[in-house]
Amino acid sequence: MEEVKRKPGACIPWEEKAKELPPLSGDPELVRRVWEEVDFLGYLFIWHCLVSF
Amino acid sequence: MSKSKEELYQERLKRYTKAMQNEKPDMIPIRPFVAEFTALYAGYTCQEVTHDYEKAFLAARKCAADFDWDAVVGNMVYVWTGLTQAINLTYYATPGIDIPPDVGFQYREPPEEKAFMKPEEYDDLIKDPTDYLFNVWLPRVSQDIVPPGKPTTFRHNLAFLKGGMAMMQYFDALGRQNQLLREETGTVSAISGILKAPLDILADKLRGYYGLARDLMERPDKVLAACEALMPHLFQVALSGADPEKNVPVAMWMHRTSVPFISPRHFQDIYWPTTKPILEELWNKGHQTLLYAEGNWDFHLSTFRELPAGSVIFHVDRSDIFKAHRILGDRFCISGGIPNTLLSIGTPEEVRDYCKKVIDEVARDGGYIMDASAIIQNDAQVENVKALTDFTREYGQY
Repeated sequence: MEEVKRKPGACIPWEEKAKELPPLSGDPELVRRVWEEVDFLGYLFIWHCLVSF
Repeated sequence: MSKSKEELYQERLKRYTKAMQNEKPDMIPIRPFVAEFTALYAGYTCQEVTHDYEKAFLAARKCAADFDWDAVVGNMVYVWTGLTQAINLTYYATPGIDIPPDVGFQYREPPEEKAFMKPEEYDDLIKDPTDYLFNVWLPRVSQDIVPPGKPTTFRHNLAFLKGGMAMMQYFDALGRQNQLLREETGTVSAISGILKAPLDILADKLRGYYGLARDLMERPDKVLAACEALMPHLFQVALSGADPEKNVPVAMWMHRTSVPFISPRHFQDIYWPTTKPILEELWNKGHQTLLYAEGNWDFHLSTFRELPAGSVIFHVDRSDIFKAHRILGDRFCISGGIPNTLLSIGTPEEVRDYCKKVIDEVARDGGYIMDASAIIQNDAQVENVKALTDFTREYGQY
């Protein structure tokens, strides 16, 4: 089991992903926002499997 | 001149929301949670409405069009088995595959020794619920998904890909269904978003009821910690699906965590402290919750009074609706309470008599929504559902 404790709404937290990226030349907020929005879909998938289906 | 569908929708929305605010609308709103009944009425099999959601949507819209209902759920046959097959989930019996085509889908709980979560895994769940679900739980409930460390397979990859895409497709389609209900029939989509209590989730999908009952005696501290770990996630899921307009409530489906399924002490020490804060936080954000209290919750009615007035709608299944109204009626709207057995084996006259009794004793001052006790399946007689509807319209005027 990994040590990272995921906050609600996240599968791979931005803080973890950001460490993998090279220094960002563009808008870092844009990269963070889109990462978190798409990551949230993965989160919803597993939790809806548990709760809804 | 007849009303436009949008005018009808706005009128019904006002009626429905006013009742949910425990006020008196122009008439009693009718909001039946019709599941496989829609198939019976529209001429489909249970297999068709479970496996082909477009047919389920059509059947729901046909019922909404033909009956004078204020609000319905876009699809109360809530499991689209095309999705559950894509992930190859083991816990559903699908009509036409595992059970006869005219039987509603079934949830299959494994025996205690094969529970989807083992008793020694509480710490893993508590430490990181999302990780546990992806890496331990999902590989156990799916026949295709393999756990980390095992060789991946074609079916494993496909299960995630197809499952994710199917879920997105289904949720998109549900959004369109709600819009069609509004445009075609002026019907309100009754709920938005889903919630289950942490202890119910442990019983439903993780430890199973027998496993949880044992854990409550042998490791109650772990059960409490697991519920606390699940809380923020269940709140997040509920909030993500909640109505952005804040008109209709999140539905909380309450299964087997009332007395006598659990003891009064476990309810007070574990269930309530890990459920009440979620309901309060949803209310803080402007969302009501429909407590769809399946079974009998009479023992807990006084406890529900602790919730902020107006924050929930209490739905009566086998609870005593007259007692529920006496204890909760000054704070919360009540819904339901018309026995499903009556709709199934009673006569239209008996249905009307019972509806009259409920309206007379519970709905006099508003704050009541007409519905059956539990979701209406294909054992209900069309004439009895019609009797419920027509009588409420006729007698339920304020």
